[in-house]
Amino acid sequence: MGDHPWQDNAPAEDYTVDELMVTVLASWFDNSDEVVNGMASAMPVCAFALARLTHAPQLTWVAAGIGLDPREFHLPRSTLEAPLWQDAVAYLDHYRDFWHLVQGERHFRKFCVGAAQVDRYGNANNSILGDDVHAPRRRLPGTAGLGDMGSLGKQLYFWQPRHSPRTLVERVDFISCAGYLRGGDERERLGLAGGPQCMVTNLAVLDFEPVTRRMRLLSVHPGVGVEQVQNATGFELALPDNGVTRTPAPTREQVRLLRDVIDPEGLRRYGFDHA
Amino acid sequence: MLNEAHHVPSVGSDKVCSLAEAIGLVRDGDMVALAGMATQSAPMAVVREFIRQGRRQLGLVCLVGGIGVDWLAAAGVIDRVVCCAVSMEQFGTCRQFARAAESGRVRVQELSEWALLARLAAAAQALPYLPIRGLVGTDLIAADSDNLRVLDDPFGGPPVVACRRLIPDVAVLHAHRADRAGNVQCEPGARWADASVMPKAARRVLVTVEEIVDSAVLRRHPDRTVLPGFLVDAVVEVPHGAHPTSLPDRYDYDTRLHREWVAAARHNTSSSAFLDRYLHTPPDEQSYLVAAGLGTRNKEQAGQDG
Repeated sequence: MGDHPWQDNAPAEDYTVDELMVTVLASWFDNSDEVVNGMASAMPVCAFALARLTHAPQLTWVAAGIGLDPREFHLPRSTLEAPLWQDAVAYLDHYRDFWHLVQGERHFRKFCVGAAQVDRYGNANNSILGDDVHAPRRRLPGTAGLGDMGSLGKQLYFWQPRHSPRTLVERVDFISCAGYLRGGDERERLGLAGGPQCMVTNLAVLDFEPVTRRMRLLSVHPGVGVEQVQNATGFELALPDNGVTRTPAPTREQVRLLRDVIDPEGLRRYGFDHA
Repeated sequence: MLNEAHHVPSVGSDKVCSLAEAIGLVRDGDMVALAGMATQSAPMAVVREFIRQGRRQLGLVCLVGGIGVDWLAAAGVIDRVVCCAVSMEQFGTCRQFARAAESGRVRVQELSEWALLARLAAAAQALPYLPIRGLVGTDLIAADSDNLRVLDDPFGGPPVVACRRLIPDVAVLHAHRADRAGNVQCEPGARWADASVMPKAARRVLVTVEEIVDSAVLRRHPDRTVLPGFLVDAVVEVPHGAHPTSLPDRYDYDTRLHREWVAAARHNTSSSAFLDRYLHTPPDEQSYLVAAGLGTRNKEQAGQDG
């Protein structure tokens, strides 16, 4: 599906970083993908909806692993709520349909991960801070489906609205979601396919080096410098051979769709410092 | 296991009883499986009755706990939780639960969703364990080594994780309607995995519903019956039994009460004052609903404030 002449695809000048992040996340999904959102996932839901309204109208979305292909949804404060799939074409039984299909590598090959900590090798933590699981310094919300998705051969796409040395860490306190573990081929040696692919934060877009599996800085957002991103990261980022690029701004049409159609209440801003 | 203390408060196939009687199925110390998502379809009337009766040392099993788990932690009812996540999503973190976990007052055994469902499914199928492909490479396996073990695939594939069966003493859920025999029906929509598996895994099953109806009503749409009556030990009519969480097709989550609790839960004094006002002082569900403002607001308004 190409650009439509009536859409305003000029770069927006009036946009916020949450809107930029949604457009980056949306760009990672196309017509051949099947996606599902988990809990507390307003940002991936906005990205799936935006992709479906622009470059990927055939993107298959199963809201919360329940409602297939919703169109006229209303974004609620929980992304496991019924307004998200009010006009679904089918209901999947969460146990027999969704959780069975997701086990293999044929369906739902990509999954979005939001977590309190992500480390150099794409391991994610949403369980505890501290080193004692039974007396943690801080109890986090919990792994939910991440503990499965990281080990089921999925390609993992991360979003993190607060890029800081506390969220991008050398080593997560606890692995709730398996990434590349200690790097190199450790993941493959455990028999795990897939793995972390890309990450979008409020400052930058990152991926993982092919052999070492270290996190690498791909592009910085408009107005952000490479050194600023490095200083906000708890470990040394790998740099691409061809240099770090600049993340493209969202188009005016993307911003309009997000503000007027998909998320008029701005729930995508949850978790941002500027929210 | 179903011995002298297992007193089903019903006659013949009539499973209908009061909320207080139904709670008789639960003994202090029991493992109670609560169905429901973070803000949705949670059996909140039973949560409130646990608190009113001053129950102690209950364990919880839940996929995604929300405000109910936070209330139970704040009221000192629970001392252990087996879960995948506990959160009120965009309303905020379950701070009282988190504090109880951090202080060691509540012991948390965290599992991935499919691992917890496998533990319950093993119980439902009378198997010692079920294998899964998830969790491999995570720290969750070592953190719960009593119940999770990496196994070689006897047929030569990559290793799997054996998830030991988990038999809850009581499974509790809230639904749209049931007849007096305990056949439970839901409106079409989400069929969450926990509500499918927990009743088959547990020793006893307690269901609250918005309304008790004649069986003839269920017979019009037998495809909407989600739980056969012979699995159910007690059924209680509790309108707004999931409040302040939502019940699809009936009422939305109560935004105002969630926000009031999140603000109160920041400090132990304000948290206690909230519990007193809404949970300790009102003697029953009707008084709770009045205290929560549902005596004057109708059910549609309850979810739309703010």
